[in-house]
Amino acid sequence: MQALKIALAQIAPRLGLFDENLARHHEIIKEARDKGAGLVVFPELGLTGYLLQDLAADVAIRVDDPRLAGLADATKDLSVIVSFVEESGDHRLFIAAALLEDGRIVHVHRKLFLPTYGLFDERRFFAAGDLLRAVPSRLGAGIGLAVCEDFWHLAVPQVLALDGAQILINVSSSPGRDLAATNEVGLGTATSWRLLMRTYAQLTTSFAVFCNRVGVDESISFWGGSEVIAPSGETIFSAPFFEEGLFTVDINLADIRRERVGLPLLRDERPELHVRELRRIVAERAGLAHDSTADDLAEPGLDVAPGDPVANPIGFRSGRR
Amino acid sequence: MTALFELPDELAIDTTIARTVIGEFIRGQLRQAGFENALIGLSGGIDSAVVAFLVAEAIGAERLLTVLMPYRTSSPASRSDAETVVARLGCASELVDISPMVDAYFGTDPDASSVRRGNFMARQRMAVLYDRSVTWGGLVVGTGNKTESLIGYTTLFGDSACAFNPIGDLYKSQVRQLAEALGVPEAIIRKAPSADLWPGQTDEAEADMSYPVLDRLLFWRVDKRRSVDEVVALGFDRALVERVDRMIAGSEFKRQVPPIAKLGPRTAGVDYLYPRRRPGSARG
Repeated sequence: MQALKIALAQIAPRLGLFDENLARHHEIIKEARDKGAGLVVFPELGLTGYLLQDLAADVAIRVDDPRLAGLADATKDLSVIVSFVEESGDHRLFIAAALLEDGRIVHVHRKLFLPTYGLFDERRFFAAGDLLRAVPSRLGAGIGLAVCEDFWHLAVPQVLALDGAQILINVSSSPGRDLAATNEVGLGTATSWRLLMRTYAQLTTSFAVFCNRVGVDESISFWGGSEVIAPSGETIFSAPFFEEGLFTVDINLADIRRERVGLPLLRDERPELHVRELRRIVAERAGLAHDSTADDLAEPGLDVAPGDPVANPIGFRSGRR
Repeated sequence: MTALFELPDELAIDTTIARTVIGEFIRGQLRQAGFENALIGLSGGIDSAVVAFLVAEAIGAERLLTVLMPYRTSSPASRSDAETVVARLGCASELVDISPMVDAYFGTDPDASSVRRGNFMARQRMAVLYDRSVTWGGLVVGTGNKTESLIGYTTLFGDSACAFNPIGDLYKSQVRQLAEALGVPEAIIRKAPSADLWPGQTDEAEADMSYPVLDRLLFWRVDKRRSVDEVVALGFDRALVERVDRMIAGSEFKRQVPPIAKLGPRTAGVDYLYPRRRPGSARG
């Protein structure tokens, strides 16, 4: 049995107070180590708080910041994921998550998708990352790290799994909203995330780890509900909503092999097919290639022709060709 | 001839452009709300005098009501300065003595601090202005400047309450510049700014710093995003810089709408966002 204890740090970061949050990280890493954890996961922007607005530039750090190195120093025989605002050499600000192991910064993931709609305004304050990589880890399993909104884009967990991830990790600052009692768990956001994480675990036959913060920034309350899902899609652990805590979960990494042998979905993936079809779609959207599946009267780059949406429902029209 | 006031170089503005922009702003705000008239509380100080001149210039003095709301300890000079403004503009004016209202409230609490009394007076004046906005059929125009807003030298829901504010992005030094250009009486420009909450009170004595220094510091720190070390290198005293930084951060709440707990799918100010004036919103 390849046992691994995962510690989910479902914390409530203090907005804009880097050093205070840093001290809390050190305490929690020590506590997790004492509990026998091999992997400790902190939520998105755990070192800074989420709703930073113009504070983002004040709390931003470079990856060579001694405070980040200090955190790495605390990771002997441990894998830790922390998240912060990263300032690049050309002064772009990224929402970053880093994998720290054995004193080193092994990997930095920069949030790829910045929600700028509804209650979100991230694109105003941050730059979007351009790289998506799964990385090997001291745990003996590939890590696929992503931040919150990244997992509302289907390709992200799939690319990570194809790139070698066996443990998908999403760190989030997800604001709880849509308090309808008709939702599965009383909170629309939580219902959606549970569905997504179970689906990704199942379809990529990987462990899926979700660490979401709690606490309040201005109007918004973060709902917690951190989870660990097995490669079978079965939920192993769900943390309580809105409650701060360090939750440990025992998993068996041998489940990855068992699941992948029994359900060889990843073996059967056709990335070359994706690339071919995506390349075609990109060319069609750019108007550089004829779109053989578009409406006859659709303009180049658009699939659907203009017209009365009631008489002609949006989508591929019947009676063409 | 000595200058009317000290104007730091970096704070100099083109007052002609400022008057053009502010005039359009005042007319636009009223038009979008479906109002033709405006009213302000006139204290006798420079800020409300400047706003009175600007509103009169934008929409005509006949559409402006100035309300003088002295308390019994208010300086007689303030009142006579306010009356000079009224006479100069030829606008409507009302006198509402707030002493009976304030004294009735504090009658059972004679030991109330001057801060509590000052805040209560500011809110009483707000209540009077909003009542007069109904009888006058006009919008309350704000008279707070950028300096006092940034350091939080305002009373929440008191002097900061208004329908719109034409000078809220101008530092005190810039308001003075505008005052001179508008022809505000010299005595009003020259005298030491005061909240006039007790005899002899002045802003600069209370805050222990001068407006030209404070305005310059705020300009470099806030508008020009200079760090603490950088403004110290410009010659500002580090202790002063740190004190002002704390005042700015500590008064952030005064410059924003209170947060609503996010529970439903759409929440005012969070993800229910419309211009405050939009089709259908003007008074019918």
